[in-house]
Amino acid sequence: MTEFLTAAVGLILAMLGLGLVSILRGPTDADRMMAAQLIGTAGIAVLLLLGTVTGVPAAVDVALILALLATFASIAFVKKGLSRLETDGADPGEDR
Amino acid sequence: MNIATVFEIALAAVVLGLAIWTIAVPDTYSATVGFIAYGLLVALIWVRLDAVDVALTEAAIGGGLGGVLLLGAAARLRDTEAMTTEGPSLIVRLSAAILSASIAAALAVTILLLPDPAPTLAPAVVANAGATGMTNPVTNVLMAFRGMDTMLEKVVLLLAIVGVWSLASDQAWGGRPGPRHQADPNGVLAFLARLLPPAGIVVGIYILWTGADHPGGAFQGGAVLASMWLLVIMAGLVDTPPVRSRWLRLILVAGPGLFLAVGLGGLCFGSAFLAYPVAFAKPLILSIEVAMLLTIATTLGLLLAGAPERSAER
Repeated sequence: MTEFLTAAVGLILAMLGLGLVSILRGPTDADRMMAAQLIGTAGIAVLLLLGTVTGVPAAVDVALILALLATFASIAFVKKGLSRLETDGADPGEDR
Repeated sequence: MNIATVFEIALAAVVLGLAIWTIAVPDTYSATVGFIAYGLLVALIWVRLDAVDVALTEAAIGGGLGGVLLLGAAARLRDTEAMTTEGPSLIVRLSAAILSASIAAALAVTILLLPDPAPTLAPAVVANAGATGMTNPVTNVLMAFRGMDTMLEKVVLLLAIVGVWSLASDQAWGGRPGPRHQADPNGVLAFLARLLPPAGIVVGIYILWTGADHPGGAFQGGAVLASMWLLVIMAGLVDTPPVRSRWLRLILVAGPGLFLAVGLGGLCFGSAFLAYPVAFAKPLILSIEVAMLLTIATTLGLLLAGAPERSAER
């Protein structure tokens, strides 16, 4: 079972690496932020698996905090980046 | 070399590569997003090193609140960056690079020169864990064995908020920080701001409570509470409080104030400043932590909200 979970960690880490490529490539801010969200989700999965594989139950708490704050960061991105999206001509009106 | 080691090496390489990219990328906004992802990955490394307390803080500050602070700064800088035609000169860049590299080199040399095994007080901390009735060694060190340092850190938080507030213009002084957020009251954001905070508040209090015996504590719990408060503010459901408000200032000094009062009590009734009576050590420490949870959540929220910008009447 441990081998299987370790392999799952490896697979998710590979996905996480692909997300990093997307951060590096862009091309727009929104793409980068979506990739950061993907990395956050992958990080939560890795933490839950690592907690089980290595017997560190507190890793679940770290995953819990990541889940809450990653949501918060993505909302902040939309709010802070909105003025710029408006100048680009995309969807005015939700905020402000 | 087993498979776990391969993963660790790959993770370390990815983190280093991301760090270099974050420094090298010219666009501030991209660098900020890179830094948020970097914080997430560093939290993974801390868990792998069995430093879960540090991982919690890194996830809360590095990936969460710190990232949001930087996103706000990058959004604010964007207009001025578009206007400036030339960046810093080559000499400025070179000297900044040399300064940073020499600091990194000095740290690396210090760590490499440590005697083997490195000097440590960890056995002493474990041996005296019973003195406070709490089994999390990190909380024991922070709240009891090095309580003085922790108290002074909370005072530093107060100084930080005074520094941010002092950036206010004269007309706005005493007013509300940040813009008044407005969002569709039936929209997704307002829905999320009603759905998430109840769960977030439970998680924040849980992180504080579990800190006595497992990784956790007031700072991480406070960071979660602060993010939930800011979420409600950003959804336009509540406004930021005016900084002249009396209850706000009371909450801001509650944590350090109670810490100081307990410390002075130790001087009067016990053997030394901040000496807890053994029978009451855990209740005293927990009550200090509850007060600090409120103070830290409010302080972090206000630090992210920024300097007062509007008078309280509007």
